[in-house]
Amino acid sequence: MSVLTANSRRDLEVHRYPAPLYVAAPVVALVVQALLPRVMGRFAYFDLPLVITIYFALGRRSPIQGMFMGGFMGIFEDALTHHAIGINGIAKTVAGYLAASVGIRIDVQNTIIRILLNFVLSLLCSAVVVFIHRVLLGIELHWNWLEMLFVAIGNSIVALFLFPLLDRFQVRD
Amino acid sequence: MESFFVRYRNLLVLLTLLLVQIIGLAVQVRRIDPARRSLDSADSSGVRLIRLWANAVVAPVERSLEYSKTGVFGFWKNYIDLRHVRQQNRDLQDTVDRLRLEQAALLEDARQGQRLQGMLDFQQKYLYKTVDAQIIGTSGSDQSRLFTIDKGKHEGLARDMAVITADGIVGKVREVFPHSSQVLAINDQSSGAGVILETTRIRGILRGNEEGQPQIVGILADARIKPGENVLTAGGDQIFPRGLPVGTVEKVENDPDRDGFITVIIKPAAHLDRLDEVLVITDTEPRFSSQQQKDIATSEQDKSADAAALSEQRKASAIMAERLPGLTDPNAPPKPANPQGANGAPATPAATVVPKILPPQHPDRFTPGHADQPDQQAPASTPGPRPPSANPVQKKPPTPNSTPAPKPATPPKPNPQPQPPRDEQPQPQSGSPPTGPGRGGDHRDE
Repeated sequence: MSVLTANSRRDLEVHRYPAPLYVAAPVVALVVQALLPRVMGRFAYFDLPLVITIYFALGRRSPIQGMFMGGFMGIFEDALTHHAIGINGIAKTVAGYLAASVGIRIDVQNTIIRILLNFVLSLLCSAVVVFIHRVLLGIELHWNWLEMLFVAIGNSIVALFLFPLLDRFQVRD
Repeated sequence: MESFFVRYRNLLVLLTLLLVQIIGLAVQVRRIDPARRSLDSADSSGVRLIRLWANAVVAPVERSLEYSKTGVFGFWKNYIDLRHVRQQNRDLQDTVDRLRLEQAALLEDARQGQRLQGMLDFQQKYLYKTVDAQIIGTSGSDQSRLFTIDKGKHEGLARDMAVITADGIVGKVREVFPHSSQVLAINDQSSGAGVILETTRIRGILRGNEEGQPQIVGILADARIKPGENVLTAGGDQIFPRGLPVGTVEKVENDPDRDGFITVIIKPAAHLDRLDEVLVITDTEPRFSSQQQKDIATSEQDKSADAAALSEQRKASAIMAERLPGLTDPNAPPKPANPQGANGAPATPAATVVPKILPPQHPDRFTPGHADQPDQQAPASTPGPRPPSANPVQKKPPTPNSTPAPKPATPPKPNPQPQPPRDEQPQPQSGSPPTGPGRGGDHRDE
C-alpha cells in the first residue's frame, strides 16, 4: 500500500512542463484524433485528448487545471462533431478532476497506476457521455459496451507509451 | 465563509464548469419533434463560432498533414518505390527483345513447317524417289547461280540429279560432297535443260541469261508462241523427268545473233530467289504408293485372269472349229498326208479354203444368180409397169448407203470371217428368192 501512496516529497511535487507543450500536446492530440480514424477506420479505439487530459491532470496535481484542460479538450472535440457542444466537455472535465484528485493521493509515476487510471477514467468518461446523451439530452445513442472496453484498453496502451514520452519534457529543478 | 470557498474550491469549480456546460447544452438543445427525439441540427451563432474556431485550429494542420502525406506518398510512390524501375525496365526490355526473337523464330518455324508440309504432300504424290534437302548457302555471286544444299553423297545424291520443288524445276546437282552438294540453277548461263512448250509443242533448250532469267534459245520464229504459255520439261536431257513444270512464257524476243531465231524469256515456276527447301530426284523409276501398288497388283491379277480366260476361249474355239465340218471346203483338194514340211515345220496349206457364201438377205440384180430367174422377182399378174412391191420397206427413199453400186455383178469376195456353224445359220433353199426388196423398188429408185 505504501507503494501506491505518495509519501515522499518527490512523489508529491508538481511536475512542470515547458509552456508550449501545454498548447502543442493538446492540439496535436486533437488533430491526430481527427486524422487517425481516416487511416484506421472503425478500429481507432483510443481517445488521445482524454489521455492528454489525464496525463496533465496527474502531473500537475491540480484539479482546477485538470478540469479546465479536460473541459477545453472536450469542448474542442465537440466542436469538431455535429453533436451539442459540452457533452465531451462535461465528461472530460469530470475525468480531469478525478485524475488530479487521485494524483494528489497516490504515486502517479507508477506505470500500473497510470494504466489502471487511464482504463477506469476512460470507462467513466464513456459512461458520462452515454449518460448525458440518454438522460440529460434524451437522445437515442447506440452504444456498445464492448467498444467502450476497447477504447479503454486502447487508451491504456497509448498511455503506456505516451506518458514516458511526455515525461521527458518535464522541467526539473 | 472564506475558508469554505478555499476548502471546497476544486469542487465548486467543478460544479460551476459542469453547470455552465449543462446550461450550454440546454441552450443548444431544441426539440422539434418529441416523437423523433432528435435535436435540431441548426446551431446558434455562438455554437457555430466555437465550431469555426475549432475547425480553424485543426483544419490547417490536417491540411498540411494531408499535403505532407500526399507529398510523402508521392515521394514514395514516384521515387522510393520506383528505385528499381530502371532495372525492371531494362529487364522487361530484354524480355521483350527475347520474346520478339522467339516470336520471329516461331514464325519462321511455322512458315518452314508449311513449306515442308507442302513439299511432303508433293513428294508423296510424286512418282519418283526424292530426297528433301535444305539450302544452306549460295555462291554469293550473280555470275554464278549456284547454291549449296545440306545433302550429299551419303544421302544418295549424285551428279546431274534433278533438283525440283513443288512449284517446278530448280536445277541440277553439279558437285556432290559427302554431306553437301552444289546445285546449278536453271537460270545460270551455263545450265541447260530440254523443255517443251505445252501448247505449241515446240522444243528448245533452257538456260539462263545475264540477268538471271531462264530463257529458251535456238527456236525458230513462231508466231504461235504467246506469253503465258506453260513450259514443261521435255525429258530428253536424261536429267529432268518429262512433264515437270518449268515456268511460263514471259516474253518473246528476237535472237540478236541469228536471224530468224527467237529467244523466249521464261518466268520460272519455282521461286529461284527465295528457295529454302528442295527435292532432289535420286531415282527416276516410278515410286508408287502402297495404294497404287495395290491397285497395280489388282490390275495385274485381273489382267492374268482375262488372259487365261481368253486363252481358254481360243482353245475351245479351235477345238470347235476342228469338229465342225462346215468350216472346211468340200471341193478343196485333200490335204497331204504329212502336214509337216521337210524340216518339221507345219506346212503351209496349198489351197485357200473358200468359205461357203451365205445367201443374201436382200438380193438384188447384182446378186449372183439373180438374172437367171427374173420372173420370180415380180408376179405375173402385176398390171402396171411399176408394180407395187410386196415389201413395204422398199417404199422408203434410198439412202446413200443403200444405193447399189452401178457395176456389173461380180463374184463375191471371199469372206475372211469364219463361217458360223450350219445349225446356227439356217440355209435357205437354193434358187428360191428370199424375201426382200424386189427389183421393182430398185427401178423406182432409178
